[in-house]
Amino acid sequence: MTSDIRHKKMLTIDAKNVDFYYSEFHALKNINIEVEKNKVVALIGPSGCGKSTFLRLLNRMNDLIDGTRMTGSVLIEGKDIYAPNIHVDELRKEVGMVFQKPNPFPKSIFENVAYGLRVNGIKDKTFIEERVIESIKSAALWNEVKDKLNKSAFALSGGQQQRLCIARALAISPKVLLMDEPASALDPISTSKIEELIYELKKDYTIMIVTHNMQQASRVSDKTAYFYLGEMIEYDDTIKIFTNPTELSTQNYITGRFG
Amino acid sequence: MKRFFEKLVEGALLISGSITSITILLIVIFLFKEASGLFNSPVIEDGYVLAFNKDNPVKKLSSYQIKQIFDGAITNWDEVGGKEEPIEVVRLSDLTKYYTEAELGANFENIPAKASELTAKHPGIILFLPNSYIAKNFDGTLLKHETLRPGDFFGGKEWYPTASPSPQYGLLPLLLGTLWVSLGAILLSLPFGIAVAVYLAEISTMRVRNFLKPVIELLAGIPSVVYGFFGLVVIVPFLQKTFQLPVGETGLAGSIVLAIMALPTIITVAEDAMRNVPRAMKEASLALGATQWQTIYRVVIPYAKSGITSAAVLGIGRAIGETMAVLMVTGNAAVIPHTLLEPVRTIPATIAAELGEASAGGGHYQALFALGCILFIITMIISISVEFISSKKYSK
Repeated sequence: MTSDIRHKKMLTIDAKNVDFYYSEFHALKNINIEVEKNKVVALIGPSGCGKSTFLRLLNRMNDLIDGTRMTGSVLIEGKDIYAPNIHVDELRKEVGMVFQKPNPFPKSIFENVAYGLRVNGIKDKTFIEERVIESIKSAALWNEVKDKLNKSAFALSGGQQQRLCIARALAISPKVLLMDEPASALDPISTSKIEELIYELKKDYTIMIVTHNMQQASRVSDKTAYFYLGEMIEYDDTIKIFTNPTELSTQNYITGRFG
Repeated sequence: MKRFFEKLVEGALLISGSITSITILLIVIFLFKEASGLFNSPVIEDGYVLAFNKDNPVKKLSSYQIKQIFDGAITNWDEVGGKEEPIEVVRLSDLTKYYTEAELGANFENIPAKASELTAKHPGIILFLPNSYIAKNFDGTLLKHETLRPGDFFGGKEWYPTASPSPQYGLLPLLLGTLWVSLGAILLSLPFGIAVAVYLAEISTMRVRNFLKPVIELLAGIPSVVYGFFGLVVIVPFLQKTFQLPVGETGLAGSIVLAIMALPTIITVAEDAMRNVPRAMKEASLALGATQWQTIYRVVIPYAKSGITSAAVLGIGRAIGETMAVLMVTGNAAVIPHTLLEPVRTIPATIAAELGEASAGGGHYQALFALGCILFIITMIISISVEFISSKKYSK
C-alpha cells in the first residue's frame, strides 16, 4: 500500500479512513488527511470535536487509554504505525509530542533534555551534551538557561518550561512534532515566542498543532483542518480556509459564530 | 436563636478538641511520671539489705555488679574497686553453715546478733538479709539506700526483673531485639511492598486492581493475634526445619510475621504516592520513546520518592509498636541478639507479658513504664520524620 501510484512524493503523514472509538463513543469518523514534509498543519474545531484525539493517534498515545479501538490506517513516512511489527516506543522516538501544559520532569534542565537520549540507551557523554545544547538552542531557550543547566526545571517560567519541553522533544530528532495546544496555558509574550519557534522548526520538522486560537492557526500553519463532532469537515490551505472556506460550518466557526 | 445555636456547636467542638488533647497529654505525663521513679528505686529487692565488712573500702555496687557477684562471675573484691580479697557470698539460708540451729535460736531470734558478728569477722563477706534481721547496732557497712543509676537502665545488658538480690533492668537486649526484628521486617517487606505497589499503580488492569486492593486492605484489618497464630503454626515450624534450629521461635519468625503485617500499610501508602504522579509526567516520558519500565524507574519512582519513604517509615512504625504477634513467635528470650535465628524479646512484648506480675509502684513496674517511654519516643521520632519527609514534597 505504500506504493500507491497517486503518491509519487512520499507523504510524511497519511491517514486513511480512520475511525476511532472510546468504548461505544464514536470519536473520529472516517478521517483522511495527508501532510507533506516540512509543513505545519493546524487542527481547529470546538472542544470535544476529536482534534486532540486525532493528534494522539499519530504517536499512539491513545493506546494508554483502556477500551479504545481504531480502524483504518495511519502511515508515517510510508510505514503503517499500527502494524503489528511496530514497537510503540520506537514510533514515539520518531513522532515527538508537546503537551498542552508544560510538563517538565522534576529534574535539572539538562537532565530533562537528556532524558529522551538516555532512555534510548545513549551513554556517550559528549554526544549527549552536544545534543542537549543544540536542542535547547533550537528551542530558542539557550540564552535564558545557559548559566543554570543544573538548576531544577521547575524554577523556569511557564513559557520557558514549554520551550524546554519542545527542546526535550527535539533532542531525539523526531521526524514529526505533534503539539497539543502548546500555548494555551501561556501569556501572550510566551505565546508569540512559541509561534516564532514553530516557524523556525518548520525547516526541519513536520508539525501538527492543535489550537483553539484562530489567529495562531492562521499565523503558523500552511494547512488547516477543521474538525466538528468527530468529522473532518474541511482540510485545505490555511489561507483558503480563513478567507474562503467551502463549508458553511467552517465559516461559522472561524468567524466566531459558535464554538 | 440561630446565632446562639452556632455558638453552642462551636463551644462543643472546642471542648471536645481540648478534652482529646488534654487526655493525650495526661497519658504522656502519666507515662513519664511513673517511669521517672525508676531511678529512685533501690538496686536490691524491696525489704532486703546488703551488708559488707566495715573495713571493706567498697561502699557502693551497681546493680549489674551485684548480680555478677551473686552469680559467681565476680569472685574478688579487687574486680569492683576493692582490696585483693575473695568475695564470700552469704544468704540467709547460708547462715546454717556458720552457726548451728541452736545457736541461731529456736525462733531465729539470735540471727541479728550472729549476722552482725559474722560480718565483723569475715573481711570478704557480702551478706544478703531481710531488713528485719539487721540489728540496730549492726557492725558493718549497709548498702540500703543505693538507687538504680541511669547507666544501669540505658546501658544495661541484661533484663532480669526477678533476679535476686538485684533485679536487672537493662534496656539494651529489649531495644536491640525490637530494632532487630523491625529491621528484619522492613528489609523483607519493603522490596516486596514496593513491587506490589508498582504493579497495582502502573501495570495491573483495572479489574485486577479492583480485586487486589480490597484484599490487601483487608489484610490490615486482621487482628494481630491471628497473625501471631499463623506465625506460630506455620512459620515457626518451617524455620525450625529449614535452619535445623533447636527452637523455631526466633527473631526471624517475628520479622516475617511483622513483614506480612506491615505490607498493607507499605503497599497502600506507596501505591497512593505512585498514583499521584501526574499523568502528564508519565505521558511526557512515554512520548519521548521511553518504555513502560523506563518510565516507572526514571519518572514514577523518583517522583513518588517521598511517598515511598513515608510508606517505609510508617511500616517501621507499625513493626516497632506491634505487640501480640511478636510476643507469640519470637521466643521472648531477653538476651542481646547476634543473629536473626535466635530468640529475641521486644519492648512491647515485654510490657504486655510482665506488667500483670509487676507490683504497682515497684522497681519492675517503673522499669516497664520506662520501656513504654522509650517506645513512645521511638514512635514519636518516626511520626516526626514522616511529617518532615512528606512536607518536603511540597517545597521541591
